[in-house]
Amino acid sequence: MKRPPLAEASGTSSGVRSSWRRQDVSVDVSESKGEVGLDVLGVSKVFETRRGRVVALRDVDIQVGRGRFVSLIGPTGCGKSTLLRIVAGLVEADGGTVSIFGEPPERATAAKHVGFVPQSPALLPWRTVLDNVRLPFQVNQKADGAPGRRFRDPVEVLESFGLGDVLHSRPAQLSGGMQQRVAIARALVFDPSILLMDEPFSALDELTRERQRHELLDVWQSDQKTVLFVTHSVPEAVVLSDAVVVMCAQPGRVRAVIPVDLPRPRGEFVEATDVFHDLERRVRSELRVAWNDSHA
Amino acid sequence: MHDETAMHDGAAMHDETAMCDETAMQTSVLVDAVDRSREEHRPVEEDVSRASRDWLHPRVWLPPVVALGLLTLGWQLYAVHNRFIIPTVPQVLTQLVDHPGLFWQNLLVTLQEAVVGASIGMLAAFVLAISMCQVRLVERALMPIAVMLLVTPIIAIAPALVLAFGFGMTPKYVVTAVIVFFPFLINSLTGLRSSDPQAHDVFTTLHASKWEILVRLRLPSSLPFLFAAARICMPLSVVGAVVAEYVAPGKASGLGSLIVTAAALADLKTVYASVLVLALLGIGLSTVVVVLQRRLLGWHQTAVPRRP
Repeated sequence: MKRPPLAEASGTSSGVRSSWRRQDVSVDVSESKGEVGLDVLGVSKVFETRRGRVVALRDVDIQVGRGRFVSLIGPTGCGKSTLLRIVAGLVEADGGTVSIFGEPPERATAAKHVGFVPQSPALLPWRTVLDNVRLPFQVNQKADGAPGRRFRDPVEVLESFGLGDVLHSRPAQLSGGMQQRVAIARALVFDPSILLMDEPFSALDELTRERQRHELLDVWQSDQKTVLFVTHSVPEAVVLSDAVVVMCAQPGRVRAVIPVDLPRPRGEFVEATDVFHDLERRVRSELRVAWNDSHA
Repeated sequence: MHDETAMHDGAAMHDETAMCDETAMQTSVLVDAVDRSREEHRPVEEDVSRASRDWLHPRVWLPPVVALGLLTLGWQLYAVHNRFIIPTVPQVLTQLVDHPGLFWQNLLVTLQEAVVGASIGMLAAFVLAISMCQVRLVERALMPIAVMLLVTPIIAIAPALVLAFGFGMTPKYVVTAVIVFFPFLINSLTGLRSSDPQAHDVFTTLHASKWEILVRLRLPSSLPFLFAAARICMPLSVVGAVVAEYVAPGKASGLGSLIVTAAALADLKTVYASVLVLALLGIGLSTVVVVLQRRLLGWHQTAVPRRP
């Protein structure tokens, strides 16, 4: 596995570097904060189905700098969720390597370095909100003794998420947006080194979704985690990310990486600026090409 | 003459057991389906209030009461013209009131057989379901045997069990345990596998052990299914107990034995009074399960939703 030569793209500080087939768009911004948080190198995955082999991912390279927020976007079947699941150690790659701050997914999850927010909140309905957030402390306790391990107080996290009033409620008593915030709190409470989010807002209605987006921005701003975020929504990807990775299908691969240079912290005003609209347009046009590629 | 009646009874019983088995299976599937749909569409406020206070409303209690009344009336009308085939309603009730001790004693025996036998059967089924869920190989090896147990009519093996275990309580426990085993096994297994795959993903990314996933995710997820199964199994256990008593009457008492002896003496009042007591026993047992379910599974069905 040789690292492909990366063309230096000027004026970008997205913290993402990606290439496909050695000649595709590449963005290098290791200068941003130095350390590489997530390094995906030449990852491929093939699924055997009844209708034959489906190449879910072919030779995908993505690099995310520490403290960077990166979104994966693309048409259905482009393998963005599969990629996220590989990084989360839920699916094994057929080829290539994944390293999370220097560790393979298996070791990273064993050390509780990976926070995962699934598509549905997936809270345990028999537990209160607080007990749901305490769950990470109750399993795999041998990882907790590691030196330098930092934990956050579940009550404090929930209060900072505006959930202080519902600590002892059951998930079923909460709105969809609140449930999703509990799921994010559960993923952050053990202070993982990377946060993986799989379309966490896709089940919410548009208005709630927009609010959650900005609340996530606030959360991220206060504690700049390395984030890999899968989404279907262009504005969501642009407003949240330092870089948007556009993927296309058949086989799943990186089509383009679009750095987002909007200043942080970003408020709701950002979505009204021209820069934002330009970026949105760029992502959309890349998506259109990706979609055409996938359906050619 | 007696032999013939006994044989006739036996055959009828056989059919009944088979039918019960089948209905039970269907019901169990049905209950699962209901539970599932409840999980998907979270209960709305109306549902909750309907469950808690609407029992007082005539709209709710009147239809079953009227239906029961009509049935009793029809029975009575038929019975007064066919006194040698079925007893009248007052006759049955008088029999109950006149000999409370007789029915009470026999009820206790049958209740003990049903409860002890069902507990053994359900516990065994649950333990097996857990091992099947944890180790796929166990399921592949033992599921065919469990299915064999299901398709074998219990009445067919009951005499053999009596020969093997004698005329005491043991064969009754065994028959009852066998009859509840399969429905409970299938429901437990479905329940253990019903846990949210995305919650499973969260556990996996935390590197939770298989044991931790079982205790903290699978077991609690399976509880609604276990209760659904218990609601079927408790009344079914009464069937098991009675079948066992039919096969080995005489020595041990119990309502089933009472029916066999009374039928042999053409004492129809006692037969039907016992049947009535058995029906009440079944209702009582499933009510206990429902009450326990309401108490323990607040999060599942009776949680009051609030959406700000």
